[in-house]
Amino acid sequence: MTKTPLLEIEDLCARVCDKEIIKGFNLTINEGEVHALMGPNGAGKSTLSNILCGKSGYEVTSGSIRFKGQDLLAMSPEERAREGIFLCMQYPVEIPGVPVTTFLKHAVNAIRKHRGEPELDTMEFVKMVREEGKKLGLDADMIKRAVNVGFSGGEKKRLETLQMAVLKPDFAILDEADSGLDIDALKVVSEGVNALRNGKRAMLVITHYQRLLNYIIPDFVHVYADGRIVKSGDKNLALELEEKGYAGFVREK
Amino acid sequence: MTGLLQHISLPGDEIPWLHEIRTNGKNVFASVGIPTAKNEAWKYTRLRELNADDFVISLPQQNLSAPQAELPFDAYKIYFENGIFNPAMSELPQGIEILPLIEVIMFHPQYRQLINTQLIEKRFPFSALNVAYLNEGIFIHIDSRVEIKKPLALIYHTDTRGQNLLCNIHNLIVVEEASSAKIVEFHYYNGEVKSRYLANIVNEIYIRRNAKLCHYKIQNEAFKAHHLALNYVDVAENGSYNSFCLQKGADVSRNETRVLLKEPKASAEVNGAYIMNGWATIDTTTDIEHLSSCTTSHQLIKGVVGGDAKGVFQGKIHIAPEAIQTEGTQLHKALLLTDTAEVDVKPELEIFADDVKCSHGAASGELDEEQLFYMRSRGISEEDARQLLIAAYLDDAISKIEDEKIAAWIKLWAK
Repeated sequence: MTKTPLLEIEDLCARVCDKEIIKGFNLTINEGEVHALMGPNGAGKSTLSNILCGKSGYEVTSGSIRFKGQDLLAMSPEERAREGIFLCMQYPVEIPGVPVTTFLKHAVNAIRKHRGEPELDTMEFVKMVREEGKKLGLDADMIKRAVNVGFSGGEKKRLETLQMAVLKPDFAILDEADSGLDIDALKVVSEGVNALRNGKRAMLVITHYQRLLNYIIPDFVHVYADGRIVKSGDKNLALELEEKGYAGFVREK
Repeated sequence: MTGLLQHISLPGDEIPWLHEIRTNGKNVFASVGIPTAKNEAWKYTRLRELNADDFVISLPQQNLSAPQAELPFDAYKIYFENGIFNPAMSELPQGIEILPLIEVIMFHPQYRQLINTQLIEKRFPFSALNVAYLNEGIFIHIDSRVEIKKPLALIYHTDTRGQNLLCNIHNLIVVEEASSAKIVEFHYYNGEVKSRYLANIVNEIYIRRNAKLCHYKIQNEAFKAHHLALNYVDVAENGSYNSFCLQKGADVSRNETRVLLKEPKASAEVNGAYIMNGWATIDTTTDIEHLSSCTTSHQLIKGVVGGDAKGVFQGKIHIAPEAIQTEGTQLHKALLLTDTAEVDVKPELEIFADDVKCSHGAASGELDEEQLFYMRSRGISEEDARQLLIAAYLDDAISKIEDEKIAAWIKLWAK
């Protein structure tokens, strides 16, 4: 069975304020695959996810990133989102004065418009959000509140998951999706994420700890250290890593 | 060259009282002239352009474009065309006295004393100019113990037809004891977009015991126009004045509100927002005088400044020695969208009494890059994301408007 590549990162080098962070990074993710990227603090995991989403402040010095065959680096953040990239953020941003419904309706309709689908009116939109929210065990009032303002850590992650469910991306990056979550919230969020797995949607799960991978079981695991992948394997690599610690792998390179 | 002061004959010149105050107005304006940066009250607001223009005094004209203004709420619509009251077009409510001001001056001399001679002082040069031409404007008299639920919408439509018009409007509004009303001012323009004119407006407002007036305003004049407005508000015991002004049009605009809280428990809310681009200057000036005990005032003004524009906020709270147990708060915040945008802020507190609560604050900032990125990473365009953040920024000020429909209307304009 030939697989269709969704994301192809080749020899990526990037820096932030003259500091080399990513040093020759290679990774291909095919449709439907779930990859885990594990690495110690400071390895450049968040830099990678920010570059994938087009955040400013990062300079790509060489290499390329193709998404669905297109040059991803030439696209604005909103174009990437409309093409189907979604970043589930480690620290979701608070936006006082902007209700979740307003924010999400703008996002949904921008993406639907891009896909050539009719925009949803308020009734249709609210109905859809309520249905998706129910699956994630969200308090219905949450969508009336300002985006992430006064949300607990768990609520923020649930809202990220809700956004993912509603925006239906082709490729989702989960950046430290478990940080700030207690075990119950972790289960809910993981179940939400797993429900979104299908034969086509791909995911990159970036995490520090193996714990999350007990709930979201990856097809591939990569160890990321000092700006590049130092070892790749299946889900058992995560367990090995848990046992040996990162130090063992960093020395191997 | 015909400047702002001209000799024209106006109705009622034969009445000595009227002739005298017009002459006083002329003399005061002639001695002060157009204020420059040396005048403390006008130091941030440039009025140079007014020197360069020839002006034509606005007089009643036929065949104006006179479009019906669409308002998304039910209101009594009172039309002004180029600053001239148009009773034929207006829908006047039953039970409220609404008359041309000149008619009141000529035939109801008992109300003349309400026209405040303090307006003809050197510190209010444009009010002096306004009185020099005292003629246009209306008298709104709301009898005691009347609650008027439907707002009175004063719709100021301007179409200068290529003339540099000087529109002097003087309204006298009296809300008698235990009455309440809502007044909405809507200043808009259609016609040649680059036309220059000066809308010079004075509202004298009297709120009697236990009465309440809500006063909401949208200023969206042509982008080369000047709009200078003074609201002079006198509040009696337990009366309340609740105002909100959105300024977004004109080249130079000032909305000045002076409130005298004259008797115990009088209160005022003076809120506003401004949103601007290009080279405009928009000035919000307030002066709240707590002259009696247990009076309260609150001010919240939010601005969004882009391009090379300049926002000005001058806010004064004065608490007289006898005004014990009063509370006065003031907050001005501005969002600067470009490096060349500017805000000038001058808060002043004058407190001569003990046992008072008084506070003021000012802050300015920029759009938050993290918030913008978060929204864009969800597919929202940069422009939409900025608009959503701007609307959110102004939201708490606009939400002070008690009437939901009017608040929603102002939100639509605050873009």
